[in-house]
Amino acid sequence: MSTGTTSPAEILAKPTWSVRSLLSSPSNDAAKDDKITPKQLHHLLKLSALPLPKTPEEEYSMIATLQSQLHFVRAVQRVDTRGVKPLHAIRDETDQGTQEETITLDKMKGLLEEEVQVGYYKRPKRVKTKVESEAEDWDALATASRKRGRFFVVQGKKAGEAA
Amino acid sequence: MRRTATAELGRYLLQGRLSTRGCLKISQRAVCRQSSLRTSLAGASRSLQTASTSQPAGPPIVPLRKQWRDEAKQAKKHGKGKAKKDSQTVDGWELTVGIEVHAQLNTSKKLFSPAVTSFNDDPNSHVALFDVAMPGSQPLFQNEVLIPALRAALALNCDIQKTSRFDRKHYFWWDQPSGYQITQYYESFAKNGQITLLARDGIAPQDGDSVTIGIQKVQLEQDTAKTLAQSDDTQLLDFNRVGVPLIEIITEPQMHYPRTAAVLVRKIQMLLNTVDACVSGMETGGLRADVNVSVRRQGDPNTPLGTRTEIKNLSTIKAVEDAIIAERDRQIRELEAGGTIAGETRGWAVGSTETRRLRGKEGEVDYRYMPDPDLAPVVIGEDLVQHLRQTLAVSPDMELDKLIAEFGLTAKDAVSLLNLDNGARVQYFYRVLNGLETMLQANAGGEEMPVLKSYAGVVGNWTIHELGRLTTSKAGPFSQVELDFTPGGECAQVPDAELSQLLYQLYTKRITGKVAKELLMGLYLGDLDAGILETIESRDLWFQELSTEEYNVQIDTVLEGEERVLHELVKADVFPQRKLMFLIGKMIRSGPTERIDPATAEQLLRTRIAELRAGA
Repeated sequence: MSTGTTSPAEILAKPTWSVRSLLSSPSNDAAKDDKITPKQLHHLLKLSALPLPKTPEEEYSMIATLQSQLHFVRAVQRVDTRGVKPLHAIRDETDQGTQEETITLDKMKGLLEEEVQVGYYKRPKRVKTKVESEAEDWDALATASRKRGRFFVVQGKKAGEAA
Repeated sequence: MRRTATAELGRYLLQGRLSTRGCLKISQRAVCRQSSLRTSLAGASRSLQTASTSQPAGPPIVPLRKQWRDEAKQAKKHGKGKAKKDSQTVDGWELTVGIEVHAQLNTSKKLFSPAVTSFNDDPNSHVALFDVAMPGSQPLFQNEVLIPALRAALALNCDIQKTSRFDRKHYFWWDQPSGYQITQYYESFAKNGQITLLARDGIAPQDGDSVTIGIQKVQLEQDTAKTLAQSDDTQLLDFNRVGVPLIEIITEPQMHYPRTAAVLVRKIQMLLNTVDACVSGMETGGLRADVNVSVRRQGDPNTPLGTRTEIKNLSTIKAVEDAIIAERDRQIRELEAGGTIAGETRGWAVGSTETRRLRGKEGEVDYRYMPDPDLAPVVIGEDLVQHLRQTLAVSPDMELDKLIAEFGLTAKDAVSLLNLDNGARVQYFYRVLNGLETMLQANAGGEEMPVLKSYAGVVGNWTIHELGRLTTSKAGPFSQVELDFTPGGECAQVPDAELSQLLYQLYTKRITGKVAKELLMGLYLGDLDAGILETIESRDLWFQELSTEEYNVQIDTVLEGEERVLHELVKADVFPQRKLMFLIGKMIRSGPTERIDPATAEQLLRTRIAELRAGA
């Protein structure tokens, strides 16, 4: 590439990519068989425990929104990620970080020493003592809309199958 | 034995008349048998020697009672085995079973929150914010969970993975507040283990001496809430159980018989209990099994496995076996009728004969497994694994092997001993044995101790059978009192020290067996004012055995009236053991019973007979 013939201004004058390509439009719309069918939409809504669309217009608008979102996702998926492990979360994965996270014998020594040895073969056994926990110091039933005594109440289905 | 009509039986017993229908050589046989029976009935003698008195010319007659005994023996050998064998196999079909066991870990706190684990506490009293998915709450991994989890994985011979991760399994149900269960779908903390089942564990006879089942993986996961169905279509929810740590043990599909699968579940339960990983059993709902069943035609081992169905939430060992048999039969029926098996989830209710459909095809439920971004990977230190491996509890198999090889118990007795009273009875056995050993050592002084197997056998017999007889004896209202054992093997009703003392006196032949049993009953009922030794002293229960001359006097008395029997004993080529036993019995009954030891009596009687044989 010669630096003499073209100037930076000329190179930057014509855009090679627009963010608009990530939005779906009639020109870059998906092929016929890639379209989301109403059946698929209903299945997805059931899996997410969301209500089904009430009118055909609502259904059409839902499918259109989903379609444009999928267009964006497909553009992202086109990036070559061979040999790259998927990221689950951003954590300290250095050796030192992993070492700090490791659950070693030292961390568990206290608990192990509280055990007793039982029987002829002196098998280790945990002693069941009454433990108090601060995490329980709140009224779990305070936010319940329906309750019966100390229980939460849920309306069951009359003739239902398990999820 | 075949049952005979009452009329025919009556005619035979009271009148000596046999039905001759269907007999080939009727005349002579019937006559002979009738005459021999009449003499035996007339005599009403307790001995069975009919053949010797009435032996008419003709075909040799087998004494009837002996014939009945032989027939019963034959029937037992051939007839009985059939029924059980049939339910384990079906001709032409091969069954394949895989099992998933869910067991609650023995911890004080839950898996991702510091709330306390409990059983039957007040509803909704041990619930943290994260347990009910309060918006904004975050999970907090509790390290304590690793101790029982690692012990369970090590007991199953698994490879422990240094790094393991948590995933979300999404589905909506009212017992799962967050809408997903946190489990370890992709990277579990342990995999590639195995468990060996032996014939003494009770596997199907078709599996031979032993079978080794591979464990695919062991993973940590959360438990769900407890629901109580009400009659008005509502459910009451108790969230105490949400978030309690479970391990899921997934086996390879390597089992081919229902009995073996049931035994696997029982053995896993016992193993987890021994290493203190999971101490609440199936009865309390702490351990549940899901079974995957498929069938395929026998023959080519390369044919792919048939479609599998899953039977969920089986809660007893027997249910596991029954459900597998029912499902296998249903699948075979379907396939033979030309249909196909749908890969569905089925349920089993105790007492039913067939599984029922719970849910449709596997594809219909999409769990959308996804790595949980809120939880860091669990990194397990090698030193912790090593420590737990070295201090892992002695396995039940090793304990059984020692009981059989060193202490001389039979396999059946050893297995029952380990299973009684949730492992407390065997600790009691060790205590009694120790006490007896100390006493024998003190008694022996410098001399040689008796053989371990001989006195360990006595302790075993009394700990298993005699103690068991106490609670089932027909002693009236007193038999209601159960025997209470602490986990360390102490018993309130029959203290181990007292039983040691009793068995010491019995083993060294200072008291007879009959007296020992009565003393045990007295001790159990609390009738004895003082200890065993004092009671024997105060009531003078010592065994004063007859001297040899007194024995010989008894033998003379007994042989006086029994010329015929004596003749048999002296003259017969094959030594008739039963006649000897008869004489010993007579001696015990007629002479001073509590002073005769049957073993010594037999010995002296044999010597006398040997003398007579030599002389005659």
